Amino acid sequence: MKRSLLFFLLFASWMMIPSVIYGIPSDRELTVDQGILETVVDQRMAQSGSHSGDSYGHGIVIAGLEKKDEPLEEEPIEDVIADPLEPLNRAFFHFNDKLYFWLLKPLATGYETVVPQPLRVSVRNFFYNLVFPVRFLNCLLQGKFQGAEIEFVRFIANSTAGFAGFVDVVPYSPTLKEYQRYEEDLGQTLGVYGMGPGFYINWPILGPSTLRDTVGFVGDAFLDPMNYMVPRTKYNISVKSYETVNKTSLTLGEYEDLKRAAIDPYVSLRDAYYQYRKNKIRK
Amino acid sequence: MIPKYLFQSILILFILLAMKAHGWAGEPTDKIKLTSDKILSIVTDQNLKDPARAKERKALIRKAVDERFDWAEMSRRSLAVYWAKRTPEEKKEFVSLYGQLLERTYLDKVEGYSGEKVIYEGESIDGDFAIVNVKIVTLKNVEIPVQYRLLKKGNNWLVYDIIIEGVSLVNNYRAQFNSILARSSFAELIKKLKEKTDEK
Repeated sequence: MKRSLLFFLLFASWMMIPSVIYGIPSDRELTVDQGILETVVDQRMAQSGSHSGDSYGHGIVIAGLEKKDEPLEEEPIEDVIADPLEPLNRAFFHFNDKLYFWLLKPLATGYETVVPQPLRVSVRNFFYNLVFPVRFLNCLLQGKFQGAEIEFVRFIANSTAGFAGFVDVVPYSPTLKEYQRYEEDLGQTLGVYGMGPGFYINWPILGPSTLRDTVGFVGDAFLDPMNYMVPRTKYNISVKSYETVNKTSLTLGEYEDLKRAAIDPYVSLRDAYYQYRKNKIRK
Repeated sequence: MIPKYLFQSILILFILLAMKAHGWAGEPTDKIKLTSDKILSIVTDQNLKDPARAKERKALIRKAVDERFDWAEMSRRSLAVYWAKRTPEEKKEFVSLYGQLLERTYLDKVEGYSGEKVIYEGESIDGDFAIVNVKIVTLKNVEIPVQYRLLKKGNNWLVYDIIIEGVSLVNNYRAQFNSILARSSFAELIKKLKEKTDEK
């Protein structure tokens, strides 16, 4: 039942891909960065004579502002993600906010006081180690063969010497020390292939995502061993819930920090997610 | 004969020393290090942990942060096109409020310091712009890549953006400011900033 639903979702999302790739504002992320913006900067530099610019690929939008008091005739080029569903997304954001403060946080706080931190880190390691197939395949799909090799070695080492993944032995091993994680997923793979994020979706419970990353999420679910080890929906949800509580117990305070620093937490989270994913795809 | 060579070599030595002091390599990194070390020494100072001296401690950290961050530049970049439309008074008020908010965010992070390690991973300089890459290793052994972006002002390097895990602070605030300014007014933004800085 669940699997057929997943399959349908995946199928439905793949059907949408052409419109995502060829249509809509989605391409901003990859093309606009290098193309249009540079020409704008070039134009401005030509207008304002000599100017060093910002050659770091960052803040190209603002690079043109470098000369103070220079009148800006062009419209601002905003590198923000499209959000046509904003009213709905905001409603779900509000729902998730309450879910966090009323349910998840109290649960995670109670759990935190009962279970010592090393144990909670171990549990997180276990779940992380388990989704190795997702990282491995997406490394291959992106042509990151060294990454695939590293992930493979990490998986073998942690699954054996690390007691089924509960201990991350890699940082302790003199020979494997440099084997940094490759946290690749299908959303990133699609991004590497040139697919834009589409638009922002703030899912209830699952949180920030985009059209592309939702497709990736569904696709990756096929490679998550947990979905095969615990196929029955109610047990599956229980395991996923536990994983979430455990994970949250290790990141308590982060969401609060974001909210405290933000003028508009919804926009702050949306932009942070967008920038974070963009950076991951670039790597 | 000999004095002449002596003189030359002393001259060369002086030039080399001057170059080193001037910091041809690693000057932005040195500045970041200087500020970080200063803040770390305040935060870890046991004498200052006395609740009676909390105010003094905060003031010391604040001073160290103020020295290194260019609030005006951050404001200009965060407001982007809206900056030019503001009067000098409005700009001044905005810089002050935004600076307070950023400072508080930074202070919150620093206050929670509990022995994280900071690893300097090199820098790149292009004209008046510089990037300093840093890796913070938390006690839970999580590595957080942080990038400082600096701008040369006179003889000094000042931070105008911090990028944590690929998320630029200035860009994040710009998205928020834009979203507010697009549907309401600058006065509304100032009001929201005031409410935010008045918290706690």
